[in-house]
Amino acid sequence: MESEDDMHDANEIASVEEEDDYYSGGEDEEEEDMDEEGEAGEDDYSYDYADEDDDDDTGDYDFIANYSDDGDDALASRSQKSFTILKEEDIEQRQEEDITKISTVLSIPREAACILLRRYNWSVNNVHEEWFANEEVVRKAVGLLEKPFVKLPNFKEVACGICFENYSCDSLRSAACAHLFCDACWKGRGSRIFSFRFPSFLGELKLCKRATNSYISTSINDGPGCLTLRCPDPSCGAAVGQDMIDMLASDEDRKKYRRYLLRSYVEDSRKIKWCPAPGCDSAVEYVVGSGSYDVSCSCSHSFCWNCIEEAHRPVDCETVAKWVMKNSAESENMNWILANSKPCPKCKRPIEKNQGCMHMTCTPPCKFEFCWLCLGAWSDHGERTGGFYACNRYEAAKQEGVYDEAERRREMAKNSLERYTHYYERWASNQSSRQKALADLQQMQSIHLEKLSEVQSQPESQLKFIIEAWQQIVECRRVLKWTYAYGYYLPEQEATKKKVFEYLQGEAEAGLERLHQCAEKELMNYLNSDGPSKDFNDFRTKLAGLTSVTRNYFENLVRALENGLSDVDSEAASINTTTSSKNAAGTSKGKSGRGKGSSKAGNTSVRNTADDSGNWTCDQCTYMNVSSAPTCHMCHQRR
Amino acid sequence: MTSPSASSRKALSKIACNRLQKELVEWQVNPPTGFKHKVTDNLQRWVIEVNGAPGTLYAGETYQLQVDFPEHYPMEAPQVIFVPPAPLHPHIYSNGHICLDILYDSWSPAMTVSSICISILSMLSSSPVKQRPADNDRYVKNCKNGRSPKETRWWFHDDKV
Ligand SMILES: [Zn+2]
Ligand SMILES: [Zn+2]
Ligand SMILES: [Zn+2]
Ligand SMILES: [Zn+2]
Ligand SMILES: [Zn+2]
Ligand SMILES: [Zn+2]
Ligand SMILES: [Zn+2]
Repeated sequence: MESEDDMHDANEIASVEEEDDYYSGGEDEEEEDMDEEGEAGEDDYSYDYADEDDDDDTGDYDFIANYSDDGDDALASRSQKSFTILKEEDIEQRQEEDITKISTVLSIPREAACILLRRYNWSVNNVHEEWFANEEVVRKAVGLLEKPFVKLPNFKEVACGICFENYSCDSLRSAACAHLFCDACWKGRGSRIFSFRFPSFLGELKLCKRATNSYISTSINDGPGCLTLRCPDPSCGAAVGQDMIDMLASDEDRKKYRRYLLRSYVEDSRKIKWCPAPGCDSAVEYVVGSGSYDVSCSCSHSFCWNCIEEAHRPVDCETVAKWVMKNSAESENMNWILANSKPCPKCKRPIEKNQGCMHMTCTPPCKFEFCWLCLGAWSDHGERTGGFYACNRYEAAKQEGVYDEAERRREMAKNSLERYTHYYERWASNQSSRQKALADLQQMQSIHLEKLSEVQSQPESQLKFIIEAWQQIVECRRVLKWTYAYGYYLPEQEATKKKVFEYLQGEAEAGLERLHQCAEKELMNYLNSDGPSKDFNDFRTKLAGLTSVTRNYFENLVRALENGLSDVDSEAASINTTTSSKNAAGTSKGKSGRGKGSSKAGNTSVRNTADDSGNWTCDQCTYMNVSSAPTCHMCHQRR
Repeated sequence: MTSPSASSRKALSKIACNRLQKELVEWQVNPPTGFKHKVTDNLQRWVIEVNGAPGTLYAGETYQLQVDFPEHYPMEAPQVIFVPPAPLHPHIYSNGHICLDILYDSWSPAMTVSSICISILSMLSSSPVKQRPADNDRYVKNCKNGRSPKETRWWFHDDKV
């Protein structure tokens, strides 16, 4: 089980925590945010549904606001690490420290401390409590005797209690109880080889006795129960500790015993769990009560420490369990959906999705650009429609009859299945996009980065922004995926919440598509160019900008959804019913630290219109913002 | 070793032979009350006659225990069953399998055939009622093809009887 990973030192633990803890770590980033906020000064308002003239209901909802909300408490909670990754040697070290602690405090031998700790699930505190409450009872329960309760016989020769052969007293051994057994019965006859001569036609039969035929090896080979081994005498409960195992077991069995002991430290502990990734030997210690259960192992697998499923923020474990169950129940119906090809909506040739982005382009000569999810023309998507990316809007799509394309789907799917299908398909799509992005990230790191560095004459250290972009894409795909499970369980009757949710999700999707597209397709130009491109620095600025904007947006999305969109009810209602009193509604909520809502009204007058509808393109990130937004939806850049 | 259920079993190890010979000698000198070993030349399978203890529900009744020893006896437990017809008892199935922890999980190599016999007799004697286990039919059906009781995952739920 020793792997190369053992070579890594403790430094790695620290660095991994910081890098991978998307939502809880990153103090630096936090500080930046604070600075930005500071500069923004009077623009530090809560909700950004600024405009007076617009009743494009959800269109104005924005949670940039949550940003300025990251007050001191948020900073404090985020700076705490909620988990620690433990490599095998870290586990060993902690175990050893705990054992030493107990051994010292209770003045008992190491092996006794070990037995006690195992009994109380490796909780040093519990051992202390129980021991000092009633040492006698504890001793008896785990078989730690203070003195032998059997008197050693006075005879020179004594029969071993297992094989019944006579031995001289001093060649027998016992646990603390003085029930004597011979070495052969304790530990087997070791490597002794019995050779029997058989008639020549049978050849020579060598019985090589590996020490399976002994009390200790039988127990060790039976499994982790060997950690509570007791004296063979059925009436006796004296513990057989690690000291005796080390003295009497074969090398192989000693290793197995240690392995069980190590596993016990993780598996019996309430604070540590193994990383569930196949082939990973690390464990993750979680600080109970520190918020999100999402943890990220050094092997790059992120999972929920509570339910061991893959990481699933912003949805809770219960929803995940429901969703996973639902999926397995519906999986037969779903098989047809997962077929990895769809006909091009224009020329009907089958198109296989091989890029992670949802923006598809049919092969020449057709070259029709369409959306993989709804098979609608890509031109109907995204900012060009002046609003938002529409593909998450199932109800709308259904009403518009986009689904007519799938006659078969209609026939076989009743309404409920169809609804589920909508969410499942998008959930699964993002899942496979994430897998693809992970593979792309790896390829980027192993191949493309070097090539790009050569082509563009840039040191690889200057190309980190590309890796960061891809890491962000992978993470966003994961979040986006779970938002579909979130959406599926969002109660139908909460119409406003649903609208807001779909809007936020749509924005997230659009933002991610933009980032994905930039990191996937635009990068290709620079990768395949003949020499350094003049505008490579512009590309760097754009991609890095998109990455940071998308990261911020998703962080906010996760928090908003985790709060159950709790801000929505009253405020969204106000969006719908009022036009001019919105600012009042925003401030009247009276949330602490957010009372600057009224200051923004002044901004709305200094606007440059970018097109007929008043929508404008952000200079910094190119996002097309609706006319009513005083700052960019994506990057907060002021207009 | 000619019996079907023992044919798949490996011959006794030297240690097992020695130990069983000693147990046999001890048995002959000092047999547990109520038991009679039908001595054969097969050391690996003992057939033992059990006489219900006087003053119990099984007084005057005689049953037969069949004890098969594995290669690594006594590190591994022997297989102990009643030869049908088995006594009517809440922990004894009609196919002769016995629900008794020391025969399985709680076996210790310091136990002997004699100590097993004493446990079984005490289990019989303490029974207040002559009846089969509640799940007898289901269990016996599942045990077709001569499955050993040692392959059963026993759940010892009742210490009273
Ligand atoms: Zn011995
Ligand atoms: Zn003992
Ligand atoms: Zn891992
Ligand atoms: Zn979970
Ligand atoms: Zn086409
Ligand atoms: Zn679409
Ligand atoms: Zn922007």
